[in-house]
Amino acid sequence: MTHQESSQKSETQSPFPENQGVVGSSFLGPLCEFNEFRSKILEDVSQESYAQLVEQPLDILLGETLYSEKLRMKRFRANWFTRKRHRADQKLWGAAYSELIKPAAEADRKVLLQRVIHHYADEIGGHFDPQVYKFATHAAPWGMNWLLNAASVQRFLPWGMTQSLNSRLSILGEVSQLQSLSRKGTILLVPTHQSNIDSIVIGYIIYLMSLPPFAYGAGLNLYSNPVLSYFMSRLGAYTVDRNKSNLIYKQTLKNYSTRILRHGVHSIFFPGGGRSRSGAIESRLKLGLLGTALEAQQENLHRGVENSKVFIVPMVMSYHFVLEASSLIENYLADLGKHRFLPMRDESWQIRRVLGFFWKFFSSQSSLTIRVGRPLDVFGNFVDEEGESVGPHGLRLDSTQWLRSLGELTRDPQRDQEYVRELGERLTDRFYQDNTVLTSHLVAFAFFEALRMKYPDYDLFRFLRLSPGQRTLQLADFWPTAEQFYKTLVEKSKAGRFYLSEELLRGNDPRKWVLEGAQQLGVFHDAQVVKISDGVISTDDMSLLYYYRNRLSGYGLSRLAQENVLRSGYGKKDSQGFLE
Amino acid sequence: MEKKTPKDFWNSSTVAVLGGGSWGTVVAHLLSRNSRSVRMWVRSEEDVRRFNSTRVNLKYVPGVQLDSKVYATSSLAQVFNGGVQAIFWVLPSQSCRVIAKEVAPLVRGDEILIHATKGIEAVSMKRISQILSEELPLRRLGVMSGPNLAHEIAQGEPAATVVASSFDEVCDAGQYLLQGSQFRVYREKDLLGVEWAGVLKNILAIAAGVLDGLKMGANCRSMLITLGLKEMVRFGVFMGAQEETFLGLAGIGDVLATCGSSESRNYRVGFRLAQGDGIDQILAGLGSTAEGVLTAQSVFRFAQEHGISMPLTQSVCQLIQGEGSAQEIVQGLTR
Repeated sequence: MTHQESSQKSETQSPFPENQGVVGSSFLGPLCEFNEFRSKILEDVSQESYAQLVEQPLDILLGETLYSEKLRMKRFRANWFTRKRHRADQKLWGAAYSELIKPAAEADRKVLLQRVIHHYADEIGGHFDPQVYKFATHAAPWGMNWLLNAASVQRFLPWGMTQSLNSRLSILGEVSQLQSLSRKGTILLVPTHQSNIDSIVIGYIIYLMSLPPFAYGAGLNLYSNPVLSYFMSRLGAYTVDRNKSNLIYKQTLKNYSTRILRHGVHSIFFPGGGRSRSGAIESRLKLGLLGTALEAQQENLHRGVENSKVFIVPMVMSYHFVLEASSLIENYLADLGKHRFLPMRDESWQIRRVLGFFWKFFSSQSSLTIRVGRPLDVFGNFVDEEGESVGPHGLRLDSTQWLRSLGELTRDPQRDQEYVRELGERLTDRFYQDNTVLTSHLVAFAFFEALRMKYPDYDLFRFLRLSPGQRTLQLADFWPTAEQFYKTLVEKSKAGRFYLSEELLRGNDPRKWVLEGAQQLGVFHDAQVVKISDGVISTDDMSLLYYYRNRLSGYGLSRLAQENVLRSGYGKKDSQGFLE
Repeated sequence: MEKKTPKDFWNSSTVAVLGGGSWGTVVAHLLSRNSRSVRMWVRSEEDVRRFNSTRVNLKYVPGVQLDSKVYATSSLAQVFNGGVQAIFWVLPSQSCRVIAKEVAPLVRGDEILIHATKGIEAVSMKRISQILSEELPLRRLGVMSGPNLAHEIAQGEPAATVVASSFDEVCDAGQYLLQGSQFRVYREKDLLGVEWAGVLKNILAIAAGVLDGLKMGANCRSMLITLGLKEMVRFGVFMGAQEETFLGLAGIGDVLATCGSSESRNYRVGFRLAQGDGIDQILAGLGSTAEGVLTAQSVFRFAQEHGISMPLTQSVCQLIQGEGSAQEIVQGLTR
């Protein structure tokens, strides 16, 4: 028996109080059991959402939803893979329109609401293809863990690649605590999000850490890409469509997430919403979905379910280069600058680029650093090895007390919303502190800031339009800045603001990491992000340089930024529009 | 059994008041009308003995006869024994962290805490609610602040206060516990703003004392208050406060009360500074803390580092440090 199988065996005792009868005997963890009564869950979620929404003025609720869906569909460009889904959407909303123009007496709004909820619930949780299922169970007679277990990734990647992947991934941080907590409660893994590659990487990491399968809140957009769709339909258990911001959808999604967490299904979603477009670490988190952790724990507490704690585990991924960097930053700048920014090109997400990414990743010496942060409880307190919440001075605290109001264990939506807001703040803090600074981030930041010292009055957009001659520095002039910057970083990392990568800790010669970082950045992009030759350092692409530089924003490292620790600086811009 | 209303709950609650100064005593007095029992923590054994036998706090508010529901003790363990439902924190800012560390193992976690300290932690510039949330395993924190001169409220004169918290529950508790026929409690969301308003007005109170010490007229005082309020808003907004908060009871309301009353310790400090007394001498004679003296220096240092213009705070600081004359405050205003 392999190590991994044994760890899955231990999931036998996973808490599944309500559905004991439905589940039957399965030893592959809650998620796989979950598949067997998926339709029941979807039915429950639909009913729950219906009950919550039916009291609303339905004409307005449905009208708003119709309006935002029409807008969304107008913007949506269906491809071969998404055409079917798109047509179903159009059909539903076409019907909804003809219902809504009729008087309420003729067309029952409640029936329509039910239909809409069902449609959404199905999209969120019904991503299940019997054909794929058949194929995978036949191909892997030893178990059902194909679904989310990243073993599937290993099976689909060529041999040499997986071997090499192991050596390139450094998984740091609280791995053993994550492993032990996964047997004591439900894990909600919340990673930072930079690239669509993240999903594949995370799936693989879960496998490497010998964790049972996780349910994945994967962006629906991932299913429109043939390469990722292939992986995601195996990795993803449910979908999240960030383009749907209407209340009915959001409520249904939240109920779904709460429901599976309540059943002890370990879950993953990206709390920042989409990929970080500026390149900075997420500072504004989506609290709606995050709140489902508290909701699930509270629900179980009220029902007297034991071992129902949800643990929130932050995870920060550090890439030397990001596949979609160019389009992300262009997108960010175009949005920010409006008329002041002229987009230069439109880089799309093509198979060629994805394969190119992996090819370049494996053929270079690049590595990927992932840090598993200290697990938190649903309020953002740290938890100890036993899963107990720890308060100030390392004292254990009974967090159920925090759910008591007026002397009783009770719900209070305003109170809970506030707890979730605080959890969001604490999680952001953890993201920043668990960040691992790589040589590439460092060289991008140091060079960008050194250039800025030359043009201190320029605002962001003027600065990004520097001519090729202007964006060049003599190396001799750059070294002192780089050395100074390196010292600051070492200081700050000692103070616990972030981690430095092994390469950075190993040598104390800044010139070495400048060269290394520049080389790493050069691996992937067509444009040279940082070019060092003939005694000068320069860049071909200011926007990309800004993107990589932003990974170190929010720490007040910029010499031009007014450092301000009291006003939480995450995601703040200085007076010239640069991320501080 | 009928379900308990929030009012019933609070009327049958046990409340802790930490701090036995004048405001602490008056708060305990207010609370005794709306709760089952009030446990007051007073540092000195002797004060406790005297207090429990006479039911009067002779040292600070001799005029108030406290209800028998109020019980004083010098033991924190005794205060929290068996649990309390709410905690009122009425301690000077310097002892905030130290006492919070002692309290931390004694609380359960479901208590509501409202503090009434108009100060900050020197150097770190942390607000009281920040310190408390770092030190205590509690999240439901709030602040009470406003034009509340202890002696007037003790005499039953009409007054109003603000309880601010991001938790509605905390504001509810504040209202149920403090409200009386002559005492109105308003609720507010901007915890940070109310805290900073209370902190910053102390600096203004010193300056107002100085002006009165120099026997300046109403024009001059109005000018001081108006310009001083602007300075408060500038700083507060920089720290993340809502501007409107400064137009409320906790802002302009508190400023007007403090700047015109010799009951305010900060005002008295300013008054005596104007007469040429040294700061050490004044503080020694005061018998209790004047938060504004410490606050002024921390705030000014911070403002300087971050390029926030605060000329009034600057001249108050210089006066405290013996570097400037009282006249300079007036000159600073008209320059």
